[in-house]
Amino acid sequence: MLARSCLRSTRAIASARNSAVTITKRAASSSRSGSAADSPLRMNIAAVAATTVAAGSIAWYYHLYGPTAHAMTPAEEGLHAPKYPWVHEQFFKTFDHQALRRGFQVYREVCASCHSLSRVPYRSLVGTILTSDEAKALAEENEYDTEPNDQGEIEKRPGKLADYLPSPYPNDEAARFSNNGALPPDLSLIVKARHGGCNYIFSLLTGYPDEPPAGAQVGDGLNFNPYFPGTGIAMARVLYEGLVDYEDETPATTSQMAKDVVEFLNWAAEPELDDRKRMGMKVLVVTSVLFALSVWVKRYKWAWLKSRKIVYDPPNSGKSRH
Amino acid sequence: MGIWDTLTDLIEAATPWTTAEAEAPVAQDEQTEETTETKEEPAAEEAAAEEEAEEEEEEEEEDEDELVDPKETLEEECRQSKKCAPVKHHFDECVDRVTGAAEGVPKEDCVEEFFHLAHCATQCAAPKLWSVLK
Repeated sequence: MLARSCLRSTRAIASARNSAVTITKRAASSSRSGSAADSPLRMNIAAVAATTVAAGSIAWYYHLYGPTAHAMTPAEEGLHAPKYPWVHEQFFKTFDHQALRRGFQVYREVCASCHSLSRVPYRSLVGTILTSDEAKALAEENEYDTEPNDQGEIEKRPGKLADYLPSPYPNDEAARFSNNGALPPDLSLIVKARHGGCNYIFSLLTGYPDEPPAGAQVGDGLNFNPYFPGTGIAMARVLYEGLVDYEDETPATTSQMAKDVVEFLNWAAEPELDDRKRMGMKVLVVTSVLFALSVWVKRYKWAWLKSRKIVYDPPNSGKSRH
Repeated sequence: MGIWDTLTDLIEAATPWTTAEAEAPVAQDEQTEETTETKEEPAAEEAAAEEEAEEEEEEEEEDEDELVDPKETLEEECRQSKKCAPVKHHFDECVDRVTGAAEGVPKEDCVEEFFHLAHCATQCAAPKLWSVLK
């Protein structure tokens, strides 16, 4: 492109130089081409054709790929949850541990009757949600299998901090059998396991309408929830006003309980979040210190170069130096 | 907001005159102070006590009242707001149409219209809700 334009410019210069010749040439060529060249169609035919092809290709593209085909209806997709300003999602904020404590209470009193939390041991609750004594007392409420004794029998012992939270059902089949064929998922990693995370679960818990919209088909034993893909969910609405008595006397509204339990579930899925943010803060601190240091070192190293002075001392032509 | 809180927290933690308490400090001193004050002004104390009693009664009454979910009220406000008026209009129209033509299995459902209305209402209520919740 550049080469071509250069050529053209040289040609223009050349034509300007011997203008007298070109004038005669132009006159000769115009007379030779005749009447056909004068018609605008003939002159613009390439441009028109190119434009037609361009417009046609755009139209063809939109014909092929333009309208997006939705494989699923909006109902099958489920309503997308709005974004809520979770405290723990801010860069320099930790979990609200008061909320975690409330959320654990909601889990224990409401969710735990159907949903397991099998990846969370009692020891991880210590220091984040419960005190050591509280966690021990809670663990001792449940019985766990011991190692086989001398006769090879497995006895029961009270739980200890190293044990994991008990599951409501011995296995998935028992869970399905008790819940009309629907399996209540394990909640240990549910926040990471669902598209939309915290927002989705909060909306799901609080989003049950009083009655399904007109004409909506709700299957047998299912409940209408707009946020659940397919809108038919086996879990009925469980959170109602005043279901839980919070120890810090927070009014136990549906959305308050949902917010607390979702924050707790986020903790269950990402118990390392607080430490991770602290580590990130450390990284920022260390790198900023190192950067500041490097700036000072650079100034020190470059000082001789920056402060030098180059003087040109012109030779005096009158006097010759020896 | 976040980084500023962090900085102030750091400064608070570093300054020698602040104390970080692992547990809530015992409020005994305050109580004794209160009693000494009240001895000096018995009449004022009685009046204050009466007021306190009234307040407690009111609080109890509030507790006895049914709890109202702030999410419900905020979303209802949003549904009635001007912003969501078009989608609400569509939803209401759809409900009228479907319930009007109710014979056997309805051919149409209002799920999509319901989605649009719910989307509008929750988007509008989401930032307000967090300021109400703890």
